[in-house]
Amino acid sequence: MKSQFKIALIFFAGTLSIILLLSISVYYFSSRYSFTDFYKRLEVRAVLAAKSQLESEEEKASAFKEMREKHLEKLTGERDYFFKINSKSNLINSAKQLEVPVQFFEEIANRGNATLKKGDLFFSGINYKGLKGNYIIIVSATNDYDTQHLLHLRNIFIIALPLTSLLALAISFLFSKRIFKLIKKITDNVKEISSENMHLRLEKTPADNDEMGELITTFNNMLDRLETSFETQNNFISNASHELSTPLTAIIGEAEVTLSKDRTSKEYTEALHIVLNEAERLDKITKSLLFLAQTGFDGKKQKMELLRADELLWDTKKTIDKMNPANQLQIDMNMVPENPEKMSINGNAQLLHLALANILSNACKYSSNKPVKVSLATTDSDVVIIVKDSGIGIPEEELKYIYDPFFRASNTRNFEGYGIGLPLSRNIIRLHKGSLEVSSTVNNGVTVQVRFPRSN
Amino acid sequence: MKKTILIPTDFCIESLNVLKQALLLDTNKELTVVLLSGQLLSDSIVDLMFYSRRKIINSLLKPSFNDAISILKNRFTTNLVDVRIELFHGLNKNAFKNFISAHKIEECYVAKHYVLKKTGNTLDVIDYIRKCNLPVYEMDWLLTQGTSEFDQLETLIS
Repeated sequence: MKSQFKIALIFFAGTLSIILLLSISVYYFSSRYSFTDFYKRLEVRAVLAAKSQLESEEEKASAFKEMREKHLEKLTGERDYFFKINSKSNLINSAKQLEVPVQFFEEIANRGNATLKKGDLFFSGINYKGLKGNYIIIVSATNDYDTQHLLHLRNIFIIALPLTSLLALAISFLFSKRIFKLIKKITDNVKEISSENMHLRLEKTPADNDEMGELITTFNNMLDRLETSFETQNNFISNASHELSTPLTAIIGEAEVTLSKDRTSKEYTEALHIVLNEAERLDKITKSLLFLAQTGFDGKKQKMELLRADELLWDTKKTIDKMNPANQLQIDMNMVPENPEKMSINGNAQLLHLALANILSNACKYSSNKPVKVSLATTDSDVVIIVKDSGIGIPEEELKYIYDPFFRASNTRNFEGYGIGLPLSRNIIRLHKGSLEVSSTVNNGVTVQVRFPRSN
Repeated sequence: MKKTILIPTDFCIESLNVLKQALLLDTNKELTVVLLSGQLLSDSIVDLMFYSRRKIINSLLKPSFNDAISILKNRFTTNLVDVRIELFHGLNKNAFKNFISAHKIEECYVAKHYVLKKTGNTLDVIDYIRKCNLPVYEMDWLLTQGTSEFDQLETLIS
């Protein structure tokens, strides 16, 4: 669970930094505000002091004094200073008297007001020009109230920070655990599936309509494909052993019967003939199986050469004629291109010969030697060979199995064969980057389209 | 002898048999072929603003149809100079006559038994062809039994 821990830590670090940033900025801005606010209060007191002391009319002055005493709270250590300003030296003297830098007084004289902080003591001064002359009024006080406020705030943060961090830590662990709970569930489910129970699938609840659902669907699709190929493999083995055992049983049976008592030499010859026939059949099957296996993978590079598709077809027809003299193959050259170079393909003559011979002899066999039409044409990219027979056809629902080794369609009982030819042809055609397509309806014949890429 | 001929098409491989038969008919010609499809134009002004002949043709054209044309081109390299696909959007005889003269068409070839397939926007051009005072030749062949492109291609190349 290492990445679970990692995600929790990342999440926690993010949350913690947000909390810290927030508390620091809250503390900083509130302390800044408390300073400016305190200076404002001092300035108001300074103005009121000036008005009450230096106002020329007695009534107004007493009103200002009353206002200050009644409505304004007395600050801790609040003191007023009045300085009559006549000259520059006066400023320096006053500054010395108050033990503050002379710049403070200069600023008040120039700008009209100024603030200063000396230790715990806050100063705020104004320049007042009245009838009684030019005065600088300074009010000083300690900021006990706000210092306490900030202290309180700091205490809150000191207690709250560890608490919230703990909470964030807990939440991040819960959060990462929740994410990985789904993945752990899938892992546990997948662990249960083995070659014995390939039919099992991951459960998908309607709530899993998100990325996790997608993962589950992908897994299930992969399992589907795996199961199919597993079954094909199993079928192949059972079919192959069946095909191989049939001639073997015949051989063994024949030999046993012959050996059960003494025979004439003619009977022995007959028996040996039967044994030989079956052995030859066995040999044919194993040879074609070997070929199928060899063409099935691309590991061994075949020798490729430039071939003419029409020559290939004629050669194949010759072979078929030898094998089955009663065939009615018609090679149709109506649509071959005017320029014969356009019919050249890159390939291994022997292999292609075998592939085409398989397809053509199938067409002749399953149509009981009715006419089979073979047409050749070239498009801009491919050489197209179409073989059309009028035989028994292939049932539509069985079309998808025709490339499985040893598969034979349900209507082929009266015909001899092992079901290796077509898969072998397809392997060879694939080896040449071509395509093989079969379309058929029962009793309406089969149309096979073979395409090879043109070489130019 | 150079000639430009017109053949109506429905973008099915089967309809190309007319062209094949026309080419087999006389081997001394050099044909430029205009494959014509009548298409009703949309009423929407936006569709008309973004009208593109190429886009309409591409939406109708299937790769297998192009393959079939290339088979014919390869077979009749000397007799078949060019194959063009054109659309006709007109709604009367005069528009069709203008189309004929614009493309310098001299002869028309149509199918005798095969009926062109119709989709929602198809415009029947056979009537216009018969009324445009050009020589019209009717081609006939053994129609394909199956409906698949596979079987149609087999008919074309056999």
